[in-house]
Amino acid sequence: MESTMLSISNGLITAAFFILLVALIPLAVSIKSKNKRSEYIAITMIVVAFIMQIGYFILRWIATGHAPVSNMYEFIATFSIMLILGYLITYHYYKSKVLGLFAIPISLLLIAYGSLFSTDVNPLIPSLQSNWLAIHVITVTISYGILSMSAVAGLIYLLKAIPENEKSLRARILELIMAGIVVVLVYIVTTLIMQGAVGYSDEFMYTDQRGETMVADYHLPSLVNYSEAIPVEHVGDEQYEQADHFHTGINLPPVINSQSLNTVIWSIILGFAVYGILRLVLRRRLLAFVKPLASRADLNLMDEIGYRSVIIGFPLFALGGIFFAAIWAQIAWSRFWGWDPKETWAFITFMFYTIFLHLRLNRGYEGEKSAWLAVIGFILILFNLIAINLIVAGLHSYA
Amino acid sequence: MELKEIKCGSCGHVNPPGTQLCQSCGKMINSDYDKKKIKDVMRYDGSAIRSKTRSKSIFDKIWMFFTSIKVGVSIILIIAVSASIGTLFPQEYFIPVGVEPLQYYTDNYGTLGRLYYELGFHNLYSSWWFIILIGMLALSLIAASIDRGLPLLKSLRNQRAKKHPTFYKRQRLNLHQHNDGHTESVIEDLKKKGYKHKSDDNHHLLEKGWLSRWGPYINHTGLIILLFGSMLRFFPGMYVDELVYVTEGETVQIPETNGQYYVKNNDFIVDMYDENAGSVFDETLQNSNEMVTSNYQTDITFYENQNKDVVGSNPDLEEVEDYSIRVNHPYRFDQFELYQSSYDNSQMKSMTFQLEDSNGEIIGDQFTVNLDNPDQSYDIGEGMEVNMRAYAPDFVEIDENGALISETPVATNPAFVFEVTDGESTELSLLQVMLSTDITQDNEYSVKFVENENHWATVLTLKKDLTLPFIATGFIIFLIGLAIGSYINHRRIWINDEDGFSISAHTNKNYFGLKKELNPILEKNGYEHIFDRDAKDQNESVNTDEEK
Repeated sequence: MESTMLSISNGLITAAFFILLVALIPLAVSIKSKNKRSEYIAITMIVVAFIMQIGYFILRWIATGHAPVSNMYEFIATFSIMLILGYLITYHYYKSKVLGLFAIPISLLLIAYGSLFSTDVNPLIPSLQSNWLAIHVITVTISYGILSMSAVAGLIYLLKAIPENEKSLRARILELIMAGIVVVLVYIVTTLIMQGAVGYSDEFMYTDQRGETMVADYHLPSLVNYSEAIPVEHVGDEQYEQADHFHTGINLPPVINSQSLNTVIWSIILGFAVYGILRLVLRRRLLAFVKPLASRADLNLMDEIGYRSVIIGFPLFALGGIFFAAIWAQIAWSRFWGWDPKETWAFITFMFYTIFLHLRLNRGYEGEKSAWLAVIGFILILFNLIAINLIVAGLHSYA
Repeated sequence: MELKEIKCGSCGHVNPPGTQLCQSCGKMINSDYDKKKIKDVMRYDGSAIRSKTRSKSIFDKIWMFFTSIKVGVSIILIIAVSASIGTLFPQEYFIPVGVEPLQYYTDNYGTLGRLYYELGFHNLYSSWWFIILIGMLALSLIAASIDRGLPLLKSLRNQRAKKHPTFYKRQRLNLHQHNDGHTESVIEDLKKKGYKHKSDDNHHLLEKGWLSRWGPYINHTGLIILLFGSMLRFFPGMYVDELVYVTEGETVQIPETNGQYYVKNNDFIVDMYDENAGSVFDETLQNSNEMVTSNYQTDITFYENQNKDVVGSNPDLEEVEDYSIRVNHPYRFDQFELYQSSYDNSQMKSMTFQLEDSNGEIIGDQFTVNLDNPDQSYDIGEGMEVNMRAYAPDFVEIDENGALISETPVATNPAFVFEVTDGESTELSLLQVMLSTDITQDNEYSVKFVENENHWATVLTLKKDLTLPFIATGFIIFLIGLAIGSYINHRRIWINDEDGFSISAHTNKNYFGLKKELNPILEKNGYEHIFDRDAKDQNESVNTDEEK
């Protein structure tokens, strides 16, 4: 019964992914055409996909008995769903289609990235067994979804406002963001190919920080590895035999997660290689190809959306990310605040948005300045959601 | 800049020094204000703001410093950046207990780690400079709120409907048109939208959502209460954070309660998820090498001492109740809470031995030595007896008299001198963990270690935090202020039909929403859409979509 529900749940989120992907076509058409039909089709598809994603969430919740926000895949999936929610809310007020044209691909990119982590259902460790898990994480992800709209509007603003061939720092940074998106895309594709299609798997045995023997499964050839790592092969039942795997010989102390770093290095190398090829073939900045999508955007509207989403998302973040979090921390860990890395980064995110609001309200940071800040805010959110869990060991490392 | 009261040339109202817009009619009466500091005159309704008016005395300068948004934002930025540095490497309280910090940071993170420690970043959040930064933020919050909040709220309370024509022009949204005589109808329509109406002859003021302007000052007040509350922790009696170590079966006094309370650890339980429970998790658990814990639990009996006031008396424990402390389910009593923190099974409880002869044959039964309270003699059958001649729970060395010296009373490195006797002869041997030495020559028998059993102890966190109500109240006030300031819009519309139909509108945010509310009403009554000064780059198609 439960496993049937899980398969339906997984089916729903996969189907929703493709519906959203297809919905981009009528959405793009609707920006140019006077006809309302394609807009209607696009929005209907997005709403249907969103309902299916909610279906995924509810079914997975029923099947596992806890809110599906307990591991990396589930966090990222929820975040990407909330991005769609954020877009639908914004659409309800401002009827902006351009915003969707950017928000949806970002959401799709996120969920594709998230699904590279284990999508298995996990039982809850004792500290997570609380109703606050659902209350805290769901409020935070909703606020993230809304705050992200600010960044999406900011990105559109920048794409329209900054000339593609400008020899300036701002144009270069914007182009760097485009390159960053290429890197993420290349990472997703390589991982899918190497892990899924090719089945590349090199195992290395090493001793971690706590002195425990661990086995790292490399899905990409090893450029960097743990110090004194031994290439091994799994011969069943926790038995390993020494083997011969490709390795450059660069070994790093166990404090650094070499396996993650290896993936990061590969992604950057391959991503920038692909980016370089693109630039050579296209002979223009990638900016030039994304820019037309933003050409119809109304800068004032984007600025307004950018500001309003912060105004709406920030109090929600303070409620879910700080207040609910503190209540739960008091119950589970006996202290409401402990400067754990994740808590600290939530605090930093909170402080960042207060800076945003004060600069905007009191020092007239509107338009482009505000747009840049909104984009930085999104990077902070992603950093706290993903990087902190992967890089820094803390109480929140549930990945 | 003169510090004189300013009399409005138009309406005669006397304004405090430094006022930019007459607080009565809204005419610009002082264009001599610092335009770099005040970008939008309407932001505080052109009222006199102390920090922007006085700059002579030292107090003025200090006041200017703390009320400056630039300074405030810089403080927030510095706090945020330094907070992020603190996550680079773990803080001291996250590193293993009992490890020398300098060595830990150097060993694990090299030179950078050493530098991190030397600069005090290992205790960043309680360092004096971090606390000073937070204190400066608090001062900035207080000063800025008083500086801007008071004049603004005062000017909003004393609003008059009649405004000077230049005041209309000053607003971002305004319109001047022939009077079609529909003023009343416009006002009625606006009142239906929840606007409060105030008029002065044919001058009208329609206002709603004024509460929104209080938002920032409410949330700042909340933050100040919160910061004040977190300082209370340093007052004695406000805060207790201790570990209570209870071995299974033991009863211990709870510290900080003057011997009033005792807790007994009846049972400590660690449960693991079953890989074959038939649940959806089976597959995940089977694929993983590690066991996943499902529960940490201490079953306690809680006692109150009836004799606590009698000095020197033995405790007279009366059972209060049984409770199971689990993670997320602390036990509450008085102002305290007991949390499941961790457990310890490194302490040895007993060791089991057996006797072997020189051929390796086992003789008699195994015998178990209780390390906390060992028996002196063990009859293992077959006419054999083992006597314990000496015992050190934490062995260091043998002194001149042949006695065993123990470093601590805790059984971490036990050593024994056993005397084996078969009725005829006796042999002595010294037994340590992993080591056995014959004391007498050519021993026939040897005592061999078989297994040991460890104590299960629970580690509970005892917590009292009387600052919680202050901090929670502060944060709730902050959230309420934030919600009021964010989700309510303060909208004002001025209308007069003295010389044609004039309308202007102001809001503290969301001009799109204001236009969306206003334009249909104007349209319905035969007026044009209101002019938006800032909408230079207007994309009409999006805009018309908007107004649907």
